[in-house]
Amino acid sequence: MLAEELRAHLAPKLGEGLLGVEPFERMAGRVRFQRASALALFREIHDGLGYTHLSMVGGIDWVDHREVFYVAWSDPRKEYVLLSTDVPADDPHVESAASIWPAANWHEREAFELVGVIFDHHPDLRRLLTPEGYEFHPLLRSFKLHEPEELEVKKRNV
Amino acid sequence: MSEMWINMGPQHPMTHGLWNLRVHIDGEIILDVDPEMGYLHRGIEKISEDRHYNEVITLMDRTCYVAGLAWEHLYIMAAEDALHIEVPERALWIRTLNDEFQRIASHIMWFAAFVQDIGLMSPFLYGMRDRDLVLDLFQSFTGGRLTYEYNRAGGVRNDLPLGFTDRARKVCDWLLPRFNEYDALCLGSDIFHRRCDGLGVLSAQDCVDYGVTGPMLRSAGVRRDLRKDRPYASYDKVDFDVAMANTADVTGRYLVRMEELRQSVRIVRQCLDWLDRHPGPVMADRLPRWLGAPYAPVGREGYLLKRNYPTGVGFSSVEEPHGEAQAYVVNTGGEHPYRVKFRSPVFANLGAAKKYMIGYRVADIPPIMGSVDICVGEVDR
Repeated sequence: MLAEELRAHLAPKLGEGLLGVEPFERMAGRVRFQRASALALFREIHDGLGYTHLSMVGGIDWVDHREVFYVAWSDPRKEYVLLSTDVPADDPHVESAASIWPAANWHEREAFELVGVIFDHHPDLRRLLTPEGYEFHPLLRSFKLHEPEELEVKKRNV
Repeated sequence: MSEMWINMGPQHPMTHGLWNLRVHIDGEIILDVDPEMGYLHRGIEKISEDRHYNEVITLMDRTCYVAGLAWEHLYIMAAEDALHIEVPERALWIRTLNDEFQRIASHIMWFAAFVQDIGLMSPFLYGMRDRDLVLDLFQSFTGGRLTYEYNRAGGVRNDLPLGFTDRARKVCDWLLPRFNEYDALCLGSDIFHRRCDGLGVLSAQDCVDYGVTGPMLRSAGVRRDLRKDRPYASYDKVDFDVAMANTADVTGRYLVRMEELRQSVRIVRQCLDWLDRHPGPVMADRLPRWLGAPYAPVGREGYLLKRNYPTGVGFSSVEEPHGEAQAYVVNTGGEHPYRVKFRSPVFANLGAAKKYMIGYRVADIPPIMGSVDICVGEVDR
């Protein structure tokens, strides 16, 4: 399935919720959508297009906003699709996909603790890999492993 | 009977690594389970953001310490994709060979640990003996037995040594009859069948819903193998069958893995034949200097001048011994990846634990969890 076909299938059903479908190497395409129509898109991708297997959910911190991406696989089509949406950094909420793909449960827990995205209506949004009560979201860019200046100095002294 | 929660782990012989399985029981019956992960979380995705592309390979060996080369392959494919690097064909075949030898080593390791869980002691020793032969082969061309650091963006670090293919063929000849011995020890044992048959059943529908992949999925009768469905490296040029079973239980997973061992030997032999006939370069010749390619040490200016970096997003997926692993690498044009995200197959397989644990008995937990083939390093990352 090509990006064009994906767009033709999704556009009438999602309307303004669909921001665009770009070709993406090794996949059917990269579907960008607005977070308000997340559930409608997931349902369409799962039931309508048959991408029944959710492979991963991840988050990227772009400092001014955060991106949440989903990779789903369709067995009959033998290909992946990438879904991605942007959430503002001061209001990082998106609807949970766990009601459509139960597999999303753990992946969303991981994205929640590492990137700080909050998945609404998630059945059990607890921390998974980091300890209970841990305050940080380690994969945010504001969480520094060390100061960049120190590194610069080290390099020059080599 | 009174209900209670018990902890199996983090130090329990069943766990094979540091993690805790909280089990809610009523007498002997499991009412609920809650795996607690994170004891081995090292923040590999975070550290990767701070390293050069080739330096992340070191972390990949530690991500899954029983299948290091498969994870190196996974990451390096995504990184090459993001950096727009072409790889010579011989390097692709060497990676295929590595993947399959790694699958053999990993499955034998699983076999050895698993049969010990269900009360058979001697297969453990046989398994470790045979796995060592594969590790010896790895040592002969990577220098390492567990952490290899062999792949590089653009190819592999060095070519196979002289006489390697003959030695590898001898190992294959030795291994194939050993797999029959394993089967005789396990399938011929009444203990094995009493402890494994009909346990931990996970239907095909549940497998798909919960994102379960690998031998667990194939043992439920779903024919899904990335090596066939979406061939990478040289898998489209080798001939093999997808191992399948339809019982969806612990015995089914055992049968799938045993068949995969035999198929891996078949693939390895084809790779060795090809490598014998086709000498050639194993490293791309035109690599950006800042990448830190072997034989071309990065100069100081290579670190400091930021120019002409390509940008891109790389995605790759491989059929790792435990299931389907994926990597997502975002390259925004720096020396370091902006974001690296890995999908661990065992992470997803464990996420479905409630589905294949509830209703069984406490004594069934070791065989069921053993059949999942847990590698905590890749779950926690």
